[in-house]
Amino acid sequence: MFQYIVRRILIAIPVLFGVTVLNFFIINIAPGNPVDMLVNPSATPAQIAMEKQSLGLDQPVWVQYIHWLGELLHGNLGYSYATREPVTQILAAHIGPTVLLMGTALIIGYLIAIPLGILCARKQNSWVDYLVTGFSFFGISVPHFFLGLGVIYVFASKFNILPTGSMNTLGGNGGIIDTVSHLILPASVLAIGIAGNMVRYVRSSMLDVLGKDYLRTAKAKGLRQFMITNKHALRNALIPIITVIGIDIPMLIGGAIVTEQVFQWPGLGLLTINSITSRDYSTLMAINLLAAIAVLLSNLLTDILYAVADPRIRYE
Amino acid sequence: MNVSKSSATKHILKYLLSSFMALTLVLLTACGSGSSGSGGSGKDTITLGMVNPPASFNPINTSDIAGQFAERVMFDSFLDMTSPMKFQPKLANSITTTDDQTYTIHLDPKAKWTDGKPVTADDVVFTFNLIANPASTVAVGSNLSTLEGLDTSGKLAKGQTAIPDLKKIDEHTVSFKTKAPVDPNYIKEMIGTKIITLPQHVLKNIAPKDLANSKYMQAPNVTDGPYKFVTYNNNAYIQYKANDAYYLGKPKIPKFFIKIEQASNLVADLQTGAIQANASGGIGDIPYQDLSTAKGLKNVTTTIHKQIGFQTMQFNTKTLPNPKVRQAIAYAIDRPQIVSKLLKGQGEIIDGPYTSLSPYLDKSLTKYSYDPAKAKQLLKEAGWDFNKTLNFVVPIGNLVRQQSGDIIVQNLKAAGLKVKETTYDFPTIMQKGAAGDFDLLLIGFTFNLDPDVSALYGPGGTYNFMKYSDPAATKLLAEGKAEPNAAKRKVIYNQLQAIWEKDMPVLTLYSNNEIVSISKDLSYGGPTPYWPGTVANFQKWAFKK
Repeated sequence: MFQYIVRRILIAIPVLFGVTVLNFFIINIAPGNPVDMLVNPSATPAQIAMEKQSLGLDQPVWVQYIHWLGELLHGNLGYSYATREPVTQILAAHIGPTVLLMGTALIIGYLIAIPLGILCARKQNSWVDYLVTGFSFFGISVPHFFLGLGVIYVFASKFNILPTGSMNTLGGNGGIIDTVSHLILPASVLAIGIAGNMVRYVRSSMLDVLGKDYLRTAKAKGLRQFMITNKHALRNALIPIITVIGIDIPMLIGGAIVTEQVFQWPGLGLLTINSITSRDYSTLMAINLLAAIAVLLSNLLTDILYAVADPRIRYE
Repeated sequence: MNVSKSSATKHILKYLLSSFMALTLVLLTACGSGSSGSGGSGKDTITLGMVNPPASFNPINTSDIAGQFAERVMFDSFLDMTSPMKFQPKLANSITTTDDQTYTIHLDPKAKWTDGKPVTADDVVFTFNLIANPASTVAVGSNLSTLEGLDTSGKLAKGQTAIPDLKKIDEHTVSFKTKAPVDPNYIKEMIGTKIITLPQHVLKNIAPKDLANSKYMQAPNVTDGPYKFVTYNNNAYIQYKANDAYYLGKPKIPKFFIKIEQASNLVADLQTGAIQANASGGIGDIPYQDLSTAKGLKNVTTTIHKQIGFQTMQFNTKTLPNPKVRQAIAYAIDRPQIVSKLLKGQGEIIDGPYTSLSPYLDKSLTKYSYDPAKAKQLLKEAGWDFNKTLNFVVPIGNLVRQQSGDIIVQNLKAAGLKVKETTYDFPTIMQKGAAGDFDLLLIGFTFNLDPDVSALYGPGGTYNFMKYSDPAATKLLAEGKAEPNAAKRKVIYNQLQAIWEKDMPVLTLYSNNEIVSISKDLSYGGPTPYWPGTVANFQKWAFKK
């Protein structure tokens, strides 16, 4: 197992290298450059040329890339073209809020989806099943921004029970209660999408398992239904679901970008959008690298969990 | 892997849950520290809502209004322009001249940096020389370009480090000389209100080329304004605290925040009291569809202000060389509909780069009306090929402008023109514009109150994507810039407006008013009708008792 993990990590290195090359060139193919966003209306062409030179943007793209890679290997992600802050510092400030938001959304989503999915499978084709399936389609299809604006309108504007956005009350004491109250709306919006997706997997996986012979045997032995469902069936039903968790992570990153925009959640999603519109190459490259690492890691974690859940799976 | 079968799932779930809980707790404690005091209701905190995140806190390298606004909470300019051409003293008691060529800055002797050291003539000389240093990266270079010894970018020749006629007269007096006589109002605006003095004793050991990336420029720790910088949480908020030793009086509200948020959230935040006002200057615009909601709120006062910024449609004069065709298109555009429909009537139609806030607007100029019949007739006269498709590019980022693009497309089709509209993000527009890869292009500007608009109409101007160059206009632009007498300048700019009206290199579409809401809890403060006036007296902002 240990060898397997090491091997997987080693394979990840060329993959990451390829990702950075692709990203760097794609970002550079996009028209415009950071200086366009930095100049003021009365700047002279000479000033703009000078600015480009000072940022090294007058060099060919491949030279810029090699320079960037060289800096990266020294652990330096460079400076943001926009704010001139070290990129590591910017990322460090934004990673916590995003992990908090996505983690909370993931947990809430699964806490809703797993029991509901089991219920649907147990009561197949009943009104409960139809209702939950209807809810899951709603969760999958409603856009994050629409749902976000909707809940802001209801809970913040209309009834003023929850804040409209950001992570803390400005000028307030901060603290857990304050952060949680800011977290409820964005995390719920993300969770609804995750739950909607997950319910279908849990339901079909559970249906699959419930029809198996060994469960009929368990029933014949006189085991209570509760035990059958939650002990014998659930564990086997979880195996395909673990794969879905791995697929959920990249989806979640995409959803977080939109949700963070709507709720002004100070995480990586908001940073990504702003970096794209200002062509902040260095920040964008760092975010992409981070996202690629997150996806590769979540895939690896999925495979490991797989082995944990199913003793028949062995990695050599 | 040797885990007993029945409990594996439970283990996984338990592990996931407990690790998540631990993580949450760690993060919450990490995020929860940092700010103190009571929430917005405590009347010790003022929060302004802003839509655009500031690009920089470097006072000599900031070109965006959001950044300039954020800087002016902690840094003082020499003067403030509270309304068009009305100046009031700040760091300087006055800027004087007897010959329109030698100018003297008289600093307020009481002015102090937050570390207790006085703001002196040495700081001013240091700042000017730093801006003009060929090695420094700055955005305000052109503001100094009228000075003796500097080029059009406001830079010294390579190897030089001192502006020739910049002199320290005494501890609190500095004088400088321009190449030729200049309108004093130009100096008062471009230098008086836009050049921010930096502390020499803090920055003197940093090489000019390294200054932009220095720690100081990301988190200025020695400043001279009413509030001190505390922290900037990227794209979320900027936190300040009162500078109790401020030379113009201790600020009445201890904590100051600028909250960066979506425009669609502004009204909700005003309603809940999360913000006390929105920022003015086009960086905190409340959407027009929210105007009636904002006006209906009981806890805020909502007013409408005119702006100096405006939106344009540039013509590519290389692909549309015949002025008749450009005039025809100007007649074809239904600007009144754009203003009434998209701006809910909150804007003015302008012809030329001056809005009604500008003293240089020639009000006698006849405006282009909406006249599709005349448009068709002019196109016929010009021999326009109606099979040609116009390439129309529209930037995203400003919803009203995007929607105006759709109206323009309908108008052009109604006039019998073929048109293909494409939307791009702003950096792409800049590139397409510079490359001349368009026939029609939408773009907005906020210049200065000073009437010089060479950047848009002058040959080689940064924003002259039209590639417009008319010998008479070029000559007048140079004269207008060089003329020190305001009345004579007005004559020159009137002539220019007449030429541009005829040549039609760019159609100015509209200048949108801005919606400003201020909490009724404030007894003083909030955005003023002209944005630089908003940043004039932060120390006086106060809540009602």
